[in-house]
Parts: sequence; structure tokens; C-alpha cells
Amino acid sequence: MTIKIPQIELSEVHKFYNQGQDNEVHALKEINLQVAEGEIVCLRGPSGSGKTTLLCLMGCVFGPSSGRAAVGGQQLQRMPDEYLTRYRRETIGFIFQHFNILPELSVEQNIVLPLLPLGISPKERQQRAEPLMERFGIEHRKLFKASQISGGELQRVAIARALINNPPIILADEPTAHLDSSRSNELMDHLVTLRRDGKTIVLTSHDPLVTEHPEVTRVIDIQDGRISCGGSICS
Amino acid sequence: MNKSIQQQLNILDYGLHSLWQKKGRNFCVFLIFSGVIFLLASFQFMSASLTRTAELLLVTVPDITVQQLSAGRQVPLSAKSLGKLDTVFGISSIRPRIWGYYFDESNGANYTVIGSSAPATDDLLDSLLIAGSYPQAGEQGAVVLGSAVLDNLGLGDRKSFSLFRPDLTQVALHRVGVFQQSINLLTADLMLMSLEDARDLFAMGHDEFTDLLVQVANPTEIPTIASKIADAIPGSRVVTAEQIRKTYEAVFSFRSGFGAACLLASLAAFVILAFDKGLGFSREDQQEVGILKMLGWQTGDIMRLRFYESLATAACAFGLGISLAWAHILFFDGGLFRSVFLGWSVLRPTFDIVPYIQGRDILLLFAFSALPYLAATIIPAWRASIVRADSVV
Repeated sequence: MTIKIPQIELSEVHKFYNQGQDNEVHALKEINLQVAEGEIVCLRGPSGSGKTTLLCLMGCVFGPSSGRAAVGGQQLQRMPDEYLTRYRRETIGFIFQHFNILPELSVEQNIVLPLLPLGISPKERQQRAEPLMERFGIEHRKLFKASQISGGELQRVAIARALINNPPIILADEPTAHLDSSRSNELMDHLVTLRRDGKTIVLTSHDPLVTEHPEVTRVIDIQDGRISCGGSICS
Repeated sequence: MNKSIQQQLNILDYGLHSLWQKKGRNFCVFLIFSGVIFLLASFQFMSASLTRTAELLLVTVPDITVQQLSAGRQVPLSAKSLGKLDTVFGISSIRPRIWGYYFDESNGANYTVIGSSAPATDDLLDSLLIAGSYPQAGEQGAVVLGSAVLDNLGLGDRKSFSLFRPDLTQVALHRVGVFQQSINLLTADLMLMSLEDARDLFAMGHDEFTDLLVQVANPTEIPTIASKIADAIPGSRVVTAEQIRKTYEAVFSFRSGFGAACLLASLAAFVILAFDKGLGFSREDQQEVGILKMLGWQTGDIMRLRFYESLATAACAFGLGISLAWAHILFFDGGLFRSVFLGWSVLRPTFDIVPYIQGRDILLLFAFSALPYLAATIIPAWRASIVRADSVV
């Protein structure tokens, strides 16, 4: 048995929304979870079970209300929002459910969006974007508005954007929810390639095509904000 | 390049691109803002240009003008008063003058009549004429007319015409010259004739005149000599060229200020509109901010983005408003507001304004228009920037 180094480590994590108010929601309860470097982990659960909250927590969108959370070796609890954001843009690449591509921007402009607040020059942005566009076969569309390209191309733009900062962790929220099976397969192929490049991937899904994919190392079931199965690294 | 400068440039670039993409939505605000700035700037430039025009024309005004008052009303001066000034040192010349208004009943217009005894021989005065010459000494009935009088009397090519004395007998006059269009501010409604003809027209006594025009050898002594003249002629009103200049400035500044005060209401309304528009940011805007924040943009980055968008809108609208106002003065002689500034006259002077803008006017306009707009967009920008990153997940 090989013990892998955890890239994400959550211990006794609780997350509340509107804590102390009448409309308080206890979204995550006693979460203990480890994700090792190079894994593809799938979070599975019904709507409202806390999958997205857990994904956001791992994505440094917010810290835990209590417990300890470490991502890429960095403790998130008590980290101010500004540092969380800074850490997020260096460490995490996001792929959203609807891809969240800005329709009025060109393909290239969408891909380099995370680089703008980093003070990266236009030349360097282009140098970083071009290999990614080439890799995902969208370089011929780089000047097209996002609203003018196909769904499959949008999906590849979203992946390229998630990789533009070369983050070690990729998080994807229901990435196949609105895709047909061929597109879903294509997306999974891309994620598998990323895993082979050394990326750690966590995604939420209840699509069997994802949960039963041979390259998915673990499926973690979440019910009512608790992990019911699969929280720790096996091998 | 420094990373933080590059970061600002990147955000600015994104903001400008974003503005351009939403040009349909922003055009209305841009247009209203440009219009408000155009109106404010037109008032300011018109005031400055009219003051400047008056200043340029007032070089022909004598250093000191002396009039006689009785019970607060102006009354004629007599030849005796002229003699009292012999004791005042520093005066280089004194010219008596008669002036008054002549009401042309058939046209419903007032003309300003000036009778002067001085033969106008110097180049400066000659340059004020578009055609002809000044009335020469002893030349009876010779008149130089302002362009508006010429048009109003309908003389065309005719030179002879007549006016009525108070007893309704006629005075025969003939035109010998016409004033330049460029000095219409002062001469549009003017009839310049000899002292004797003016005295005849107004039926004044043979040694009476309305004022004395005094030239002073040393300009720095004008206030002192004015004070001595006031002492020498009790009850006199002594007006210096500087006081006339200041009066023009005050009149135009007052009118400009009044107009600006009225326009401030529209500026305030616009600022409220900008504030309201900023608060009601759309679902697409909210989505965009959520995506940007999820991708690592800080709240401060979003605020800067919104600020740059507002700044670009304000700067473009300011530039357009100022340019339009400048064109309004330069090419249309401030046509929209002429009647506000010059409307008291029955004969509205048609003259070319000398366009004049000072840096401080631009700064003042910026402070009263662009800055309130920027201030009004700060709270909406902040509200937009605090959208939670996870709102798009």
C-alpha cells in the first residue's frame, strides 16, 4: 500500500450560512476528508446535500466555520478573504456547471481573465493562452465571441481558463450536467489527461458516466451535509 | 513594467472593453451627462468670452468718464464744470460728450446716440470703422452707424435719413461710416455724430453736455485723479475704465452664475439618475462579478473596474460636452444663450464673440460635474463588488 500526500485535508469541518441568525443553515457537518495529489475524486449526493458548499470550501471561496481545512498545505481557517482569493487564484482552477463563460468576450479574453488582476502583460497572457488553445483545439476560434462558438468549444474554453494559471488543483461543479454523452466523454478524457499531468481533480456529479468512470479514484457520498462514505485516502 | 501598474492597466483595459460591449445601456447616461456639461460649459465659456470681448473693446474707453448727478439722477454738465478741471494736474485731454437714447417709434427700438466733438484721427479709432470716416469738425449732420441701426432703419444704399427732435421737428442726417461687426457688443445700436448735432437732436442748451471724457497721462494715477475730479466737481459721478470693465465682468458673471445655478438642478437630477442606475445593476452584471471573483478578482479589483468605467464615461462625456460648448461659442457665437446674456437690449447685438477659455474654467467645470458623478457611482460600485464569489456556483 502506498500512502499519498494529501493535497486537500479537512478535519472536523463545519460550515454555517447566516450563522446566529433566524435563517441559519448548517450546510456541512463534521467533514473529515483527504484528497491526495493526482486523484480524481467525485462528490456525489442529492441536490442540497452540501456538495457545492464542500467544493467551494476546497476551492478557498470561503473558510470553514469551525474545524481545520488545509488546501495545498495552507491552513484556510482564519485566513482573511483577501488572502483566500489570492491563494485561490494561484492554486485552484474552476470549471463551472454552465461553464460561466462571458458571452461578449472573445475566446482568448475569457481564457486570460484570471491573469488580469495578477498584473500579467498582454504579451505574456497571449504566450500562456496560445498553447492551451492549441492543446484544446480552439486556437482557430480565439477571436470569436464566446456567444458565437459551439457548446463543445465552450467546454474546452472553460477548461483552458481553469488551467491558465497552471494550478495544482482543478475543481469542477457538475461539469457534465448539461452535456450529451459524447461531450461528457470528451470532458472526462480531458480531465483524465490533466490528472496524468499531475493535477488533483475534485468534481461534483451524480452522472454515472462520471461516478463509474474507471479513472475516478474515489466517489464520496454526501447526505445532509455529512460524508456518508469514502472520506479518506485508501491507496 | 511594474506589476501593480500593469494590473491597473489590465483592469482599465477590461473596463473599457466592458463599457464598449454595453454601449447601448451606457449611451443614454453618456448623452445626458454630455448635455449637462455642454450647458454648464456654454454658460461658463460665454461669460468668459463676453468679458474678454468687452475687455478688448474697452481699450477705446477713456480713462475717466465724468457725469453730473442731481438728486441721484444724471443731469447735464455745463461749460463751467470743464473749467474746474484746469486745476487738476495729470490730465492730458478732456473731451465733452453728449449721449442719450433715441426711441425709434416705427421700429420699436432704442438707439444709443453719442455726440463727440473730437476729430477721430488716430489709427485705433479708424480701425473700428468698416467703411467711411468719422464726422469731421464742422461737418453738419454726419453720422457713423452701428450695423444693427443700419439694418433697422432699412437704409440700404441710401445715405440720408432724418430723426425727430422732442418737438417733432426733423433733423436731417447722413451716414458717413459704419462700425465693424466685431465690435457690435458696444456699437450695434450706436449712432455717433458731432457734439452740435447731438445737442440739436436732444434739444439741449448750447453749453451743455452729458459727460466729460478724460485721458490721463500716467495710467497709475487714474484713481488719484478720479478722486481729485470728484472733489473739484461736487455731485459728480466719476467712473474709471477699470470700473466699467469690472461692471461688465460682474454683469456677465452674474448671468452666468444665475444660469449655472438653474443648471445645477439638472446636474443634481443626473447624479441621482447615475446613482440609481448604478444601484440597479442587472442580473448579467451580478453574474459577471460573481465569475470574476470566482476567478480570483478581489473586491478592490471590481471596485477599481467600476471606478474606471465611471471615470471613462465621465471623461468622454466631459470631453464631448466641453468640445460642443467650445464649438457653440466658436462657430455659433453662443446662439443658445445670447438672449440670456444680452437679452436686455431691444436691438440684439449681432457680434462675433472672441472665444476665451481658461484652465481654471475647465477645472471648475470638472469639479462641478465629473466629480459629483464619480462620487455618485462609488456606493453602487461597492455594492456591485461585494457580490459573493459562490453566487455563480
